[in-house]
Amino acid sequence: MSFGMEPAARYLRHTLIDWFSQDDVSSARVGVVGAGAVGNEVLKCLALLGVGAIDIYDFDRIEVHNLTRSVLFRETDIGKDKATCAAERLRELDPNIKVAAYPGDFWRTLDLDAFAGYSAMICCVDNFEARIRLNLLCRLWGVSLINTGIDSRYAVVDTFPFSQSPDAGCYECGLPPSVYQRVSQRYSCGGLKKIAFIEKRIPTTVITASLAGSLAASQALRFGLPENRASRRIFADSIAGTSTSSELPQRADCPVCAQYRAPIQITRCRGGLHAALAPLAASETTAEITLPEPVIMSFQCKSCGLAQGQDKPLLWRAADHDAGLANCAGCGAEGAVEIEIRDKLAVELLAAAQQVPVPFVLSASDWGTQVFVLGRDSNNDGR
Amino acid sequence: MTDVKFIIRTADQTRKAEVEMDRSSMGSDIVQAAVDNWALPTDTDYSLVNISTGKSLVPSQLLDENFVKPGDILEVQPVLVAGT
Ligand SMILES: [Zn+2]
Ligand SMILES: [Zn+2]
Repeated sequence: MSFGMEPAARYLRHTLIDWFSQDDVSSARVGVVGAGAVGNEVLKCLALLGVGAIDIYDFDRIEVHNLTRSVLFRETDIGKDKATCAAERLRELDPNIKVAAYPGDFWRTLDLDAFAGYSAMICCVDNFEARIRLNLLCRLWGVSLINTGIDSRYAVVDTFPFSQSPDAGCYECGLPPSVYQRVSQRYSCGGLKKIAFIEKRIPTTVITASLAGSLAASQALRFGLPENRASRRIFADSIAGTSTSSELPQRADCPVCAQYRAPIQITRCRGGLHAALAPLAASETTAEITLPEPVIMSFQCKSCGLAQGQDKPLLWRAADHDAGLANCAGCGAEGAVEIEIRDKLAVELLAAAQQVPVPFVLSASDWGTQVFVLGRDSNNDGR
Repeated sequence: MTDVKFIIRTADQTRKAEVEMDRSSMGSDIVQAAVDNWALPTDTDYSLVNISTGKSLVPSQLLDENFVKPGDILEVQPVLVAGT
């Protein structure tokens, strides 16, 4: 256990900057999803600025090829999990700050009961699906979000001030349709992940990673200012040294903003999902509940008839299975198994389920959105 | 049907052209035209920014008067997905 030097002396130079409030920075709580190239740079900046509480989410382990872009990792760290290793290094950088590591998929490890307490979330992942998920969480919970992205030349930093402007454009408002087509290429027609799908690798360097990292940290300090009510995108060219800043407006046909209207009410299912959904189940209108990720309802082999889930739905996370499920475990017939996958369920069906393997469910209407938070890791017993 | 004349360019500014498009075209049509004409990489997604107004154009946005004025500069920017 080491104790930091007197904090006032450490942050003295910061306090000389007229627009910089060390008290605000020290009392901020920031979550960073992804401790890769951009994540390392964001985390380095947040720690050196003295951000008081930093939570690090990453499912991955350190590999040798990460070392050219990861200021926090050493050769001796290869094989360690990124979140834990990055957290250790940040504590060395500033022992005055609180750093927590959450190894694993943030979608599973995020504590949704404490989520609204974040000053900002910073997204430093390398795929669209994780960005779409974090955007949904931040949009629903009203947590301001910063999205980052890089290639070998450009860096992009998007700011979504959801905590002060719930109606600000969201990440999906600006996504072109081609992105959804690209994401769907990873899935078989049944909706399960393809077994052998080779992901295109985009080469990057620490130059664009550090550019994105410092811009993201800078924007994280600036939420709450009156001039930052709209969502914005900074697009920077590391070679030409130019950048553009543009407003990201809300889109009328956005899959998130059009579906999940204000007011958004978040309910913790303390007495279990059944009790929480009872008022909806009793209502006159037939309510349908949306799941934030698809689940497998049932399957049946066309060849031998092997079947499961016909009387009571299975409710397995589709993400835990791949297209191999279409090959029958009973008779071995390839591609013979028909699988029913859904992300919308009748409220009675869901209320009757013992376990629902998703972090939350949604009920959306023109009058507003209700979010029902379940226990973590499929424990829906209201713990 | 009215047309609007504006300038379109790539993010690295090596490609630039004055184009005339129908106001009933969408943001995604401009992106498609740029990808086709300039043979931009097709394994990347693109978004569109009106540099003159400082506003991003959502994919379904029509090129109406509120979003694109004659002479505006529109930039095609790659959607960046990497982070590691
Ligand atoms: Zn949206
Ligand atoms: Zn079979």
